[in-house]
Amino acid sequence: MDRKREIYSVELSGTKDIEKTDKEDGKEKSRGLKNKCLERKKNHQKEELKKELDLDDHKLSKEELEAKYGTNIITGLSSAQAAELLAQHGPNSLTPPKGTPEIIKFLKQMIGGFSILLWIGAILCWIAYGIQYSNDHSSSLDNVYLGCVLALVVILTGVFAYYQEAKSTNIMSSFQKMIPQQALVIRDSEKKTIPADQLVVGDIVEIKGGDRVPADVRLLSTQGCKVDNSSVTGESEPQARSCEFTHESPLETKNIAFFSTTCLEVSAPPVGTATGMVISTGDRTIIGQIASLASGVKDSKTPIAIEIEHFVHIVAGVAVSVGIIFFIIAVSMKYHVLDSIIFLIGIIVANVPEGLLATVTVTLSLTAKRMAKKNCLVKNLEAVETLGSTSIICSDKTGTLTQNRMTVAHLWFDHQIFVADTSENHSNQVFDQSSATWASLSKIITLCNRAEFRPGQESVPIMKKTVVGDASETALLKFSEVMLGNVMDIRKRNRKVAEIPFNSTNKFQLSIHETEDPDDKRFLVVMKGAPERILEKCSTIMVNGQEQPLDRSTAEAFHTAYMELGGIGERVLGFCHLYLPTDEFPETYSFDVDTMNFPTSNFCFVGLLSMIDPPRSTVPDAVTKCRSAGIKVIMVTGDHPITAKAIAKSVGIISANSETVEDIAKRLNLPVEQVNKQDAKAAVVTGMELKDMSPEQLDELLANHSEIVFARTSPQQKLIIVEGCQRQDAVVAVTGDGVNDSPALKKADIGIAMGIAGSDAAKNAADMVLLDDNFASIVTGVEEGRLIFDNLKKTIAYTLTKNIAELCPFLIYIIAGLPLPIGTVTILFIDLGTDIIPSIALAYEKAESDIMNRKPRHKKKDRLVNPPLALYSYLHIGLMQALGAFVTYFTVYAQQGFLPTTILHLRLEWENDNVNDLEDSYGQEWTRYQRKYLEWTGYTAFFVSIMIQQIADLIIRKTRRNSICQQGLFRNKIVWVGIASQIIIALILSYGLGSIQALNFTMLRPQYWFVAVPHAVLIWVYDEVRKLFIRLFPGSWWDKNMYY
Amino acid sequence: MRRQLRSRRAPALPYGYRYRLDDQDEVNQNYLADEEEEAEEEARVMVVPDLEEEEEEEKGEEEKEEEDSHSQETDSAWWRKLQIVNEYLWDPEKRTSLARTGQSWRVMIRPFAHSLNFNFNVSEPDTWQHYVISLNGFLQGYNDSLQEEMNVDCPPGQYFIQDGDEEEDKKACQFKRSFLKNCSGLEDPTFGYSTGQPCILLKMNRIVGFRPERGDPVKVSCKVQRGDENDIRSISYYPESASFDLRYYPYYGKLTHVNYTSPLVAMHFTDVVKNQAVPVQCQLKGKGIINDVINDRFVGRVIFTLNIET
Repeated sequence: MDRKREIYSVELSGTKDIEKTDKEDGKEKSRGLKNKCLERKKNHQKEELKKELDLDDHKLSKEELEAKYGTNIITGLSSAQAAELLAQHGPNSLTPPKGTPEIIKFLKQMIGGFSILLWIGAILCWIAYGIQYSNDHSSSLDNVYLGCVLALVVILTGVFAYYQEAKSTNIMSSFQKMIPQQALVIRDSEKKTIPADQLVVGDIVEIKGGDRVPADVRLLSTQGCKVDNSSVTGESEPQARSCEFTHESPLETKNIAFFSTTCLEVSAPPVGTATGMVISTGDRTIIGQIASLASGVKDSKTPIAIEIEHFVHIVAGVAVSVGIIFFIIAVSMKYHVLDSIIFLIGIIVANVPEGLLATVTVTLSLTAKRMAKKNCLVKNLEAVETLGSTSIICSDKTGTLTQNRMTVAHLWFDHQIFVADTSENHSNQVFDQSSATWASLSKIITLCNRAEFRPGQESVPIMKKTVVGDASETALLKFSEVMLGNVMDIRKRNRKVAEIPFNSTNKFQLSIHETEDPDDKRFLVVMKGAPERILEKCSTIMVNGQEQPLDRSTAEAFHTAYMELGGIGERVLGFCHLYLPTDEFPETYSFDVDTMNFPTSNFCFVGLLSMIDPPRSTVPDAVTKCRSAGIKVIMVTGDHPITAKAIAKSVGIISANSETVEDIAKRLNLPVEQVNKQDAKAAVVTGMELKDMSPEQLDELLANHSEIVFARTSPQQKLIIVEGCQRQDAVVAVTGDGVNDSPALKKADIGIAMGIAGSDAAKNAADMVLLDDNFASIVTGVEEGRLIFDNLKKTIAYTLTKNIAELCPFLIYIIAGLPLPIGTVTILFIDLGTDIIPSIALAYEKAESDIMNRKPRHKKKDRLVNPPLALYSYLHIGLMQALGAFVTYFTVYAQQGFLPTTILHLRLEWENDNVNDLEDSYGQEWTRYQRKYLEWTGYTAFFVSIMIQQIADLIIRKTRRNSICQQGLFRNKIVWVGIASQIIIALILSYGLGSIQALNFTMLRPQYWFVAVPHAVLIWVYDEVRKLFIRLFPGSWWDKNMYY
Repeated sequence: MRRQLRSRRAPALPYGYRYRLDDQDEVNQNYLADEEEEAEEEARVMVVPDLEEEEEEEKGEEEKEEEDSHSQETDSAWWRKLQIVNEYLWDPEKRTSLARTGQSWRVMIRPFAHSLNFNFNVSEPDTWQHYVISLNGFLQGYNDSLQEEMNVDCPPGQYFIQDGDEEEDKKACQFKRSFLKNCSGLEDPTFGYSTGQPCILLKMNRIVGFRPERGDPVKVSCKVQRGDENDIRSISYYPESASFDLRYYPYYGKLTHVNYTSPLVAMHFTDVVKNQAVPVQCQLKGKGIINDVINDRFVGRVIFTLNIET
């Protein structure tokens, strides 16, 4: 109860928040009447909520209810009343959680990440031009153009990232569209079918078996009504509903059915429907409140978002500090401040990998697409990677680990337990079917069953047919259909003459049939029910087709079997039959089920049959994979501990040889308290125990046991468990399908909703949707997530490398006064031109080793960009690249006449527009334009040599540890597309656009393209040596410092 | 110093990267639309095997391209496009490859005063003194005594071609200061600035191995660039031919051609309108001389303003 109060208080504060923002909205709008009306509505809503907390509708009598809601149970509301109420309360639907407004998302893309740095660059450009212009009105527009180019770059990458995000969100919204629900309502004394969202408080609705309850309903008349409350309370057992007030708490009382739960069945007589009065609609329903609890849980940043932020900080830090240091150096070297600003811009542009964030987005969405093909639909792009870093999966049981349908698992007859095939298609039933007992048993199973297939499904495989009836009966129906063939036909041949349906008081179900043998005029009474009740009614037992008296030893055998099956969490049913003697019960005998004018004891016990919701066949394998991948799988279920433990054992969540504290106690014959808790690897914790635990105890539990099952937990406890796991610094994935799961889904680092069974609220709160509801798909997700993390590392390393080669020219230009080796615009052509496709290509790289065999990365220790990565990229490969590019640069200048010694400190004269006869190393004289042209040729040469070396960089980045030869040079075709794209873009820029002056490209002589090739080869060899040493000396200094 | 430079030159880089002075022009001048014909001769004078190879390669490419295009003859639009591409790769008329051309002359003037505007007041020596100093300094290397001592008096009207070892020192032709007569500063040490008749020296930017048209020395002619042509009523040129004699070409580069003295043409603006800015354009005239390039305003011409105040 404490827990509940706590949750409700969360709810209250949550609604307060909404209230606040709404009020603010209202103030903004402040428009007389309308405003007042709004306010009134808000207040009303608030009251409504408060009332909900001490909801007392379940305590009221029908008359009181009629008075309270101004309705009439017989005639219902009038249309006018309904319309008024609808206008007042709004439609009966859950408001989807408020998303971030599109414009905010867009602006976030515009100023997030590196964009802000580039904006600064652009603004500095314009400021520089402003200063220039105020000094000299004829100053060139170069800086304005550069500023515009930078702004354009930011806007384009921003728009691109936004578009990518929007595209992946769109997949989701199209998926969310659902068929509108209908409700049967009594209005103006007429029965009408209206869309469920038109329901208002006070409406009288009729609910049939199989319907979804259209709102929170106080039941007025019903019989044998059962609802599936799993989405509210997590109970997977059907809950009986009646008209009587049975419990103080609205959640527990039997006369309220909750919105969006499913009404499983309503007994046929007298009306076949349950009638109820709508007592709350839309967001004011219990479900609505739980859903709003989810929106109160704050969205935490995804691990990859944190990593990217970390990376942006590193790069921005380097850019800004290098920029400022050189700004100061430049100023103290007596450069004009204006020039220093231009240098600063150059340094920023060189340092910022403009294309990288767009590349990351593309990479993530490529993976998202790949995962969607494997049934993992990713709603939030960044969540793609989160699964990869997941260290704990809190999995729901029903539907995720299990098939979510009762299935016959074991049979017991002839003193023997037989195992039935529980796989998805039941195809492989191997137990011995020759015994005559089986014939009798199968007959009872077939006949004592009210479930029926929905008509019109002839072509559907048996296991997939829809059945009218409860879970156990469905299981039995399908089982017998598989075993015996056409069940309906058998039932027709054995005409039913009377029947007593199952009810909770007598706990058995009975039916009386004529036999199919026309000579046998006896009636057959078949009965099934709780085993102990069935056994009570039996005096004989059938063994090998022969009736034997039920003696003590047989009874014991029965008990052993019953306990054994019950002990593994299965629901056990007993079956017995009795042939009525023809003399007492002639053909014309009329049976009366109310007076029971037939024997209900001295039956012949035939057998037991146990059912379970069996695990999906792919799950045990998936759990093993998770385990070897270092991921802890925790089961959190609302189900019974015994069942939960049994399923956990069968899927490997509790491995075969591990024991719980209770197991150890039992084995050693000790009281539970005396067992050392550290000895137990596994633990089964119920909701009740969890309720009494302090957070510290929970932490201890989570830390000390590697195999944990939480049973009988409430949705709120799920949230507590998730928080507990997160306190351990774990990245937590939560699977869930019910509305009740949505807070936990939201709280988790990655919430995974079930696509088929999942409720919309769960899907809304989740980051990922499993389209096939299959736990094994999570493993695929983990694999993809880890791969993308590795590949992002490679992409970033690749992208960062050239930054040094782009930065050095500026630094040397400032310090040594060389003619500028590479222009700012040219740098942009590398960052956003030649480098884009190759860096995306790395996303297609296959894993180097079995990524599913290593531990999940530590959130705080294994960073995306770690010091070795930055150092190796910047200072090893980066410097080598810069060297190679400078060699090309000097070659070009030397071959044109400027030997390296000549160009040192030549900058002032070089850039002087009035010096038109600057002498080179050979006495030739150059005009300013000639020099400019040579400078552009230098840019082009520098650009080309960076491009050539980036090809080598791309190839070495394919692996981080293995040799390229091990990885295969040609396995990733996209890398070659990338290389081709680099070369083609460079060719186009040099030879195609070389005549356009603004781009500063020239037609480069063919031989200059090859100057950097030896450096490229050197880079490759260098990296191979690095990898070789890493492989040779694992754990050494080298490994620690050179492996990124 | 010279030796040092030379020794650094050859073995510093492998063969392929040897500095080939002669083909610098490709980059140097490749934005030019026109072309001079001496490119053919060039190879004969400065023997650089690489260049020939390169040209052959380019021709080979061209032929291939042509073959390709013949097969496409049916489609006339394609054919035309290919022809454009083809011309781009090799234009036989203009002798350009990849729209690169041979070379052309750039010119520059002296005195050099950080701008091309000559503003001075005749009566205030301070305003023109620096021009005089600049000219004097520039002409030190042209002193007759120095020229006679260092350089040879070679026959005018023909190239001074010195075959032989590429690395052998080359002789240079004399260009004596006295050739400049009134603008030599010998008679009038103020180069006419004190009388409002300023001398401006025009020199051609040195290009290694390059020669003007044979037998047709490049002439200089100045006029008002825009405005009233009569703003400049008379100009005297020294040497009187107003041309750069062929004997000063080719230039072999400062490593071997140590004492090379650039030939000059002095323009003596003896009668220019005073107290207003007169834009002057001095152009090189001659067969195949380009003097109308927009991007580089020093190709075959130089533009400056004279503003002589009295």
